[in-house]
Amino acid sequence: MASGTLSAPAPPFVMGVPSAACSRADEVGTGTTILAVSYKGGVVLAADTRTSAGAYVVNRASRKISKVHDKIYVCRSGSAADTQALTQFVKYYLNIHSLELGELPSVNTAATLFQSFHYDYKDMLMSGLIVAGWDGKRGGQIYSLPIGGSKIKVNVTAGGSGSVYISGLIDALYKEDMTKEEAQQLALKLLSHAMARDASSGGMVRMTTISEDGVEETTFEGDKLPTPA
Amino acid sequence: MSIFSYNGAALVGMAGKDCVAVAVDKRLGVNQFQTISANFQRAFQVSERCFVALGGLASDVQTVHKEIAYRMKMYSLREEREMEPKVVTALVASMLYARRFGPWFVDPVVAGLDKDNKPVLAGYDSIGAKSEAHDFVTGGTASDQLFGLCEQFWKPDMDADQLFETISQCLLAAVDRDCVSGWGADVFILTADGTVTKKTLKVRQD
Amino acid sequence: MPVDYVETLVAQKGAGFVFDNYQRNQFLASSDPQAFKMPDLKKTGTTICGVVCDGGVVLGADTRATAGDIVADKNCEKLHKMADNICCAGAGTAADLEHTTKKFAADLELMRLTLHRTPRVGTAVTMLSQHLFRYMGYVGCALVMGGVDPTGPSLYMIYPHGSTDRLPFASMGSGSLAAMSMLETGYKDDMTIEEGKKLVSEAILAGITNDLGSGGQVDLCVVTKDAYTMHRNIMAPYPRTRIPKPVMFPTGTTTVLEEVKMLKGRLEVTDADVEMRDA
Repeated sequence: MASGTLSAPAPPFVMGVPSAACSRADEVGTGTTILAVSYKGGVVLAADTRTSAGAYVVNRASRKISKVHDKIYVCRSGSAADTQALTQFVKYYLNIHSLELGELPSVNTAATLFQSFHYDYKDMLMSGLIVAGWDGKRGGQIYSLPIGGSKIKVNVTAGGSGSVYISGLIDALYKEDMTKEEAQQLALKLLSHAMARDASSGGMVRMTTISEDGVEETTFEGDKLPTPA
Repeated sequence: MSIFSYNGAALVGMAGKDCVAVAVDKRLGVNQFQTISANFQRAFQVSERCFVALGGLASDVQTVHKEIAYRMKMYSLREEREMEPKVVTALVASMLYARRFGPWFVDPVVAGLDKDNKPVLAGYDSIGAKSEAHDFVTGGTASDQLFGLCEQFWKPDMDADQLFETISQCLLAAVDRDCVSGWGADVFILTADGTVTKKTLKVRQD
Repeated sequence: MPVDYVETLVAQKGAGFVFDNYQRNQFLASSDPQAFKMPDLKKTGTTICGVVCDGGVVLGADTRATAGDIVADKNCEKLHKMADNICCAGAGTAADLEHTTKKFAADLELMRLTLHRTPRVGTAVTMLSQHLFRYMGYVGCALVMGGVDPTGPSLYMIYPHGSTDRLPFASMGSGSLAAMSMLETGYKDDMTIEEGKKLVSEAILAGITNDLGSGGQVDLCVVTKDAYTMHRNIMAPYPRTRIPKPVMFPTGTTTVLEEVKMLKGRLEVTDADVEMRDA
């Protein structure tokens, strides 16, 4: 029962990285929008829920915001397999670190762990991350971790294929020291604009808000978004 | 052109009532251009009640046969009993899968009779995906042809004589439509009393 | 008496993948790329799916295995029992599915025996996804895994590269689009097991009918808190319409040149020597 050719393994299943950075040919065109906004006292993380392989939506209710520690979360974009595995590794090391430390780890530590994996395995990983959270030392923080292994501390950022459609909007609308509600409304607005323009972002909006008081998770269904004009 | 059709082969195993048969061609060729032998052995009796037939690259046919024989000998030394056909089917599968990323280019067919004289039949791809069958299994370059023929001519509960005629006619017709197999054929029939009958068939020499 | 050296020799054979032939195969490939093409591996061009119901999960699969465009097996089993409470439906490379599920079924059983606990579905998913991630997609397993544990019923998808999704309903394989269309229209939260079986059968049927890589019969597996029930060939939507007229070849049809009979003995199988002859 054997003759013919060995077919290539099934195309990896991705949540989108913008453009040329991606080297695995069959992954182009699939996407995500993820973002994080800081406000006075905390951070808001938001992501769409579409995961696709080629033109097919594999999961329309996926979770791209993963928990790394009690008050540290990560928004994942790129290969789902790579980012899930990476998150599990960092989660493991950070938990041990936290036990040894006897207190909550800092967001910077988490981001640096992600960074070192990113840097060491840069030719194997296809992963763009936003690490955000709150710690007692520096309050709410956001770190952008693009492909290649750099780590940039920012006040607001977006990632994934949908981010290109909203970079101007972020510049126009982001203000420092917003209230929690303002930040959440901004995140929702930004994401619904990205989802409207980017074919490979869509579904619902999942949002995670982290501050000293705790972690809040909310979901906005796709038909109840502030539809961009 | 695949490495599988470099030497050419036709193999088929078939179940009857309390009996089982294996039929193989005997050509060893180099592509379509040269026939090195018309008496190449590709069916092996590995135990009293079990046969393994191997298609594919001739060097791997011999290597894999030797490896199976080695493993079965080790098994019988350790266990002090012969390996049952069902176990042989599992052995072949795991041997092939161990070489998942550097396979032998073989296309095996296992046929035997278990303790209750029920036929055991299994076919594989080159990396050890086993498919068990209650009726027939095929392999080699003529496997597509054999599938069609067996699908039409196999019937349940054949006696040893009927089984011989059916499997032989299927093989002969199949190799007529495959240029890299044929040139001779052996049929082995295994019956409940433990008798093995080997019949050498008259086959077209083209 | 078993002999000592046997154990030694057996111990020398390691477990795991063997790469002995890898270089040779690379050499063959480089020497003549025209003649050398990797064979068609057996694939399960498949429809598999699963649904979470009230108090259990229902998984389903078709039964067709293909090698290229040949139907290699008309009635293969794609639902693998991982544990008494976990079932796994597989799509992709047949050898990988068969051996990977078998390995992890064994690992889960060993874990159950050491911990005296029923394994959780999440544990099985983690074990499999870590394995698949390690092999970077080269172990071609696309799985729908479901089961019931102390946390309740749950259902996961696992992709060949090792990513996972937890969902209330899922489908995979080449027929997943056909199956998903049925699941998306028919799925409700908290269905009864009977409703779940009906929906899963319909989804698999859609795959069998509309996807050429899927076919044969419908297999179902129901896992609840109390039982693991396999329904093999619960539906045979397209029975054979071609009923072959039994052909009797009269004894003597085939010309036999030589006949050797061996009674309870061995045929000569010493060496597969190639006899040289003028061609």
